[in-house]
Amino acid sequence: MFLRPNLYTSYEAEVQILPTYTKKVLAAIGIILLLLIPFDIPLITSATDLPLLRNIPVISNGIPPLRFLGDNSWLRVLDEALIFGIAALGINILTGMAGQVSLGHAFFMGVGAYSGAVLGGVSTSSVWGWNLPIWIWLPGAGIGAALVGIVVSPVAVRLRGLYLAIVTLGLVFLGIHMSNTTWGRHIAGDPGLGRDFPKYDIRLWKEEAPLITINDDGKWFGFLDVTDNQKKYLFLAVLFLVFILLAKNVARTRTGRALQAIRDRDIAAEVMGVPEFKYKLIAFATSSFFAGIAGALFASFAGKLPASQFSLALSVEFIAILLIGGVGTVSGTVMGTFFVVLTPKFVESFTEWLADKTDGGGVSAKLAEVVISTGPGNQGPISSAIQTPGYPLNVFDWNLVLYGVLIILFLIFEPLGLYGIWIKIRNYWKRWPFSY
Amino acid sequence: MAKLNFDASEPSHLVGLSIVVGGAIFSAYELATGADIYATTLLKSLALGSVYALIALGTVLIFKATEVINFAQGAMAMVGVLFISFMVADGNLPIVGFFWEIPNPIYELGGPEWIKWFLSVIVALVFAALLGLLIERLAIRPMIGEPLFSVAVITLGLEIALRVLANDTVKINFRSVDAPWGNGGFNIGDGFVNWSYFAAMITAAIAFVAVFFFYRSRMGIAMRAVAHDQEAAMAQGINIGRVFAIAWGAGAVLAAMGGLFATQPPVKQTGAVDTDVALVAFRALPAVILGGLDSVQGALLGGLIVGTAEIYAGQYLSGQTAWLGSGYPLIVPYFVMIIGLLVRPYGLFGTPEIRRV
Amino acid sequence: MRKLTKGIAPFLALALVAAACGGDDDDTATTDAPAATDAPAATDAPAATDAPVATDAPDAPDTTDAPAVTSPPPAAEILTDFGVDDDVIRVGLNADLSGIFAPLVTQIVAGQEAYWDIVNDNGGIAGRQVELVIKDSGYDVPTHLENYAEMADEGPDGVIMFSQSTGSPHTAATTESLVKDNLLAIPLSWYSGWAEPTQLGSNVMELYTSYCLEAMNGVEYLAGENSATTIGIVSFPGEYGQDGAQGAKKAAEALGLEVVYDGEGAVVPGSDQTPVITELVAANPDIVWATLNPGTLAEILGGAYQQGLRATWSGNSPSWNYQLLATDLGPIADEVYWHSTYTALWGAVDSPGMTAMIEGMRAKQPDAVLSDSYIVSWTEGMATQAVLEQAAANGDMTRAGAVAALQDVQVDFQGLAPDQTWSGAPNDYIVRESYIYDVDISKFSAGATVSEEGGTGFTLLTGPYVGEIAGNYDFQEACFKAG
Repeated sequence: MFLRPNLYTSYEAEVQILPTYTKKVLAAIGIILLLLIPFDIPLITSATDLPLLRNIPVISNGIPPLRFLGDNSWLRVLDEALIFGIAALGINILTGMAGQVSLGHAFFMGVGAYSGAVLGGVSTSSVWGWNLPIWIWLPGAGIGAALVGIVVSPVAVRLRGLYLAIVTLGLVFLGIHMSNTTWGRHIAGDPGLGRDFPKYDIRLWKEEAPLITINDDGKWFGFLDVTDNQKKYLFLAVLFLVFILLAKNVARTRTGRALQAIRDRDIAAEVMGVPEFKYKLIAFATSSFFAGIAGALFASFAGKLPASQFSLALSVEFIAILLIGGVGTVSGTVMGTFFVVLTPKFVESFTEWLADKTDGGGVSAKLAEVVISTGPGNQGPISSAIQTPGYPLNVFDWNLVLYGVLIILFLIFEPLGLYGIWIKIRNYWKRWPFSY
Repeated sequence: MAKLNFDASEPSHLVGLSIVVGGAIFSAYELATGADIYATTLLKSLALGSVYALIALGTVLIFKATEVINFAQGAMAMVGVLFISFMVADGNLPIVGFFWEIPNPIYELGGPEWIKWFLSVIVALVFAALLGLLIERLAIRPMIGEPLFSVAVITLGLEIALRVLANDTVKINFRSVDAPWGNGGFNIGDGFVNWSYFAAMITAAIAFVAVFFFYRSRMGIAMRAVAHDQEAAMAQGINIGRVFAIAWGAGAVLAAMGGLFATQPPVKQTGAVDTDVALVAFRALPAVILGGLDSVQGALLGGLIVGTAEIYAGQYLSGQTAWLGSGYPLIVPYFVMIIGLLVRPYGLFGTPEIRRV
Repeated sequence: MRKLTKGIAPFLALALVAAACGGDDDDTATTDAPAATDAPAATDAPAATDAPVATDAPDAPDTTDAPAVTSPPPAAEILTDFGVDDDVIRVGLNADLSGIFAPLVTQIVAGQEAYWDIVNDNGGIAGRQVELVIKDSGYDVPTHLENYAEMADEGPDGVIMFSQSTGSPHTAATTESLVKDNLLAIPLSWYSGWAEPTQLGSNVMELYTSYCLEAMNGVEYLAGENSATTIGIVSFPGEYGQDGAQGAKKAAEALGLEVVYDGEGAVVPGSDQTPVITELVAANPDIVWATLNPGTLAEILGGAYQQGLRATWSGNSPSWNYQLLATDLGPIADEVYWHSTYTALWGAVDSPGMTAMIEGMRAKQPDAVLSDSYIVSWTEGMATQAVLEQAAANGDMTRAGAVAALQDVQVDFQGLAPDQTWSGAPNDYIVRESYIYDVDISKFSAGATVSEEGGTGFTLLTGPYVGEIAGNYDFQEACFKAG
């Protein structure tokens, strides 16, 4: 079956998570890369520890083209991508698979974040917290959000299409308002400063020294010398893989098939014996569960957040992830997440690099000055000054404008998203040399 | 238009009846105890409702023609009112005014100030319409036939881009629109009524009457046909592109008019554009949904209901802030919308989607 | 809003930047990282004892183009770690340049650029040029933290301290890391909790007085001048609004004013303000203290005035924006509003610092819009410069050295703001002075640039002013305890 990717001899073979050898190999490489990205310093402390591993250059020196990703600041962005990935997988179940457009994902993330904070946070005079260990508060965050999802779903099931989208948008505003009430403040803390969230450290119960530290420097298991940033990354990477597996499994079970049937033609699905209400409720609950976990991870990662962070802009970001990645597929969602979260950082580095070029001389400076305006002499659209009395805009505003334009262009030119591009590339090489 | 056939077995009718009866009892009590405050509150809520209705009407027009919900309505409102500000306060032509200054020719002429203001606003609205056409041509037209969800997200992208440009133009300033009525008004007992309340109501009334007649014109009928079935309309020889363009142009004009009144009392006391004008349009979305996405009379009624609910809740529940939470008027529109949709899932006048197997 | 930004030909950018970044980091970040981690902490203050400490020579400095504070001479041998080498000192600004506070913060950052240009023209600090590392947070906490990670790192963007960290939640989210990384930060926030030595404030260097003490001064002055017996308080919920409201209440209690409307936390921006206006007008106070933002203040002030309230208003500094004078509200504000601030305002005070600042802005950024933000830029710059020069004098320009130097620093703002120190207990060093101005529309020049003669619409009533209540206030913890 190695060169016959579309030949399946049984249903079991077709619904495997990784149905072909190519996919298995690619997935294995992907997982190894994912886990090795943070290591651009020697992983093993001294040469006497496991000398065999130490001689593998990838481990001692990092993966050459991806090495810069191991920087602390890049690791932070990657961490965020992993957290957003979990939430995006959730909205993919609701919007991509079940076809229920939701602009309320930020609300469910917030519910998760604050469920987690109440369960795992430290209580003070102004906020509640039970200081429970992570194996309770993290799942608790997911379950809390799922319960709220179940409460909301009877309303949501009655609504269709854009009506549902706007109502879920209303949830975001209701959520931020609730955090501002007297009782909401005991959960969400001060509206300006926010509250402290529990840390990732893994404890058995409330003991002083954690079983596995994730927030502080120090060796793991006595010999793995990893920094706090690398620890957080690895912790999130493992969770991310677990949730990919979960999402994949939702897609290929009875539930997943039922959801897709409802998306494609809900009345036909009901005629065939798929109870619409039950499965939409399951979709809401599952999606909220993912959102809740991601929300708790997100909040805990920041350490301290005001409730206004769970805003409409966050919801919109997930819709963008879904559309840019390609609606309805797990791999598309993952690609979309990394694209949407990492692109700003790449572009920021790019504009910084471009601005540096204008200082030099020669051809590169001339080219850079087409884009960057440094003074009255040249009129590029981007001003290198911070305060601009009008046109041209400063770099930071352009970054936002270009983000909006990017979404528009992407959807106009590739409505199927990154997943669509991937399919085109794959088909090109499948037919090669007879492709056109 | 829906007929008033009361049916006691229908829960939505009972809810509607109880709201009407409850409102009547409350109104009677308040009129008896504080008629001046009640009257100003009523006028204020009608004015706010008119602002919402104007913005909602633009959204509905666009939706009816293109089946796209325009999330950029707020940003378009802000850009539109900036155009007005360019024309009347800076005395420059808009759009070009972002980059170079070309004087507004109207202010070179003689005549009373308010006529010049009025003409300048009309010219600014024409520029707003051009902006709508431009957006339609560049971002919406290429998406004909693509999933509607994708087009809706395109408008979200537009919202981000336009709003950053607009905010950057406003900066720290409050850009005045120099409305001829200023922030003046008159007192009714202890209450105060701004002239701008009436300006907003009159503008909304004119806009709705204009749309009402437009839908009876040849082009309006074509637009309704397109709303009904794009392919069938095309087969009848209707130029869908032109219908789209007109809808977006009209949507942008209505957004700019809504934006103009979003800088006036009761929404703002400054009579100037600042960076949160666009947020008013987000509060108009519940009005659109409550009235029904594809209904013109729904936009009017939805806007008025949402505006009334917001102002009345603000006026008469202010003693309950302790348990409602401060800033509760902000979520009243959404609350009203959710209650409304529980009773009527397609809004008050929305056409239920026909579901086929 | 999250800065999720960007995309000039994203794929092209991706490839180019991948190449560019990879190259850079090979050389700098990775190679010196392992060796550097434990070096600075051990050498905390070796030279601190024998260094020439703060020569307070009060001879008038040459104010023509030197904004410089009277500076101790640098030590011969200077220890450095991150952010400082033999030629350059890197100072970080983690600022909101595209979010909701961007209009204000872009001015402050631009002003700082002008300030440091002048410092560099005059030879820099300890023979090193100051280089600003400016990053945009978009008023988004995660982005702020990303920027922080980059600037706290040992890489090419590593800084010695932050001369600006926009936003309370953002700065609060970094406080733990600030201590861990030995970094100082000047917040653009005046919450009284920043002065708590153990909590939020450990490495946070708050400039000027706090919302709370400012409110005490404001209420005391306002009540005295207007012979008031009743007060109304309107504020946002949270660390800003309620800190100010608590200060106002403490002052009202001490003065025996009756709080007829307590709107602490009652105002939420962006919503309809009818409930607040209704209650406030019904209560009919003599004076009103507001802790809001300009847009919301305009709505409440305008609404209440139209419904017949004729109180005298004042509020915490961020509540007012002089551009409001250009709107319909201008004449009303001229009549009833007094502006309370932490600093002197553009041209409203005659002092060497003010002259130097105005000349500096005119020389470096002649087209910049006239604004009071540049005073914040200047004072932030002066405070940062004082810390760095003290560190240089101590011979320790490591991050830890800068933190240690803060204890010896005494900043003379030359009349731009009350002078300040950070050593001892909070009660000894918190600033208690504030300024109170009458809003005066005749002194407002709309659309002027710094090069033109113009004003931001103020007449100084009193300042630097310390009321009895603020002067005797025993600071133990934040006036308002925020979660």
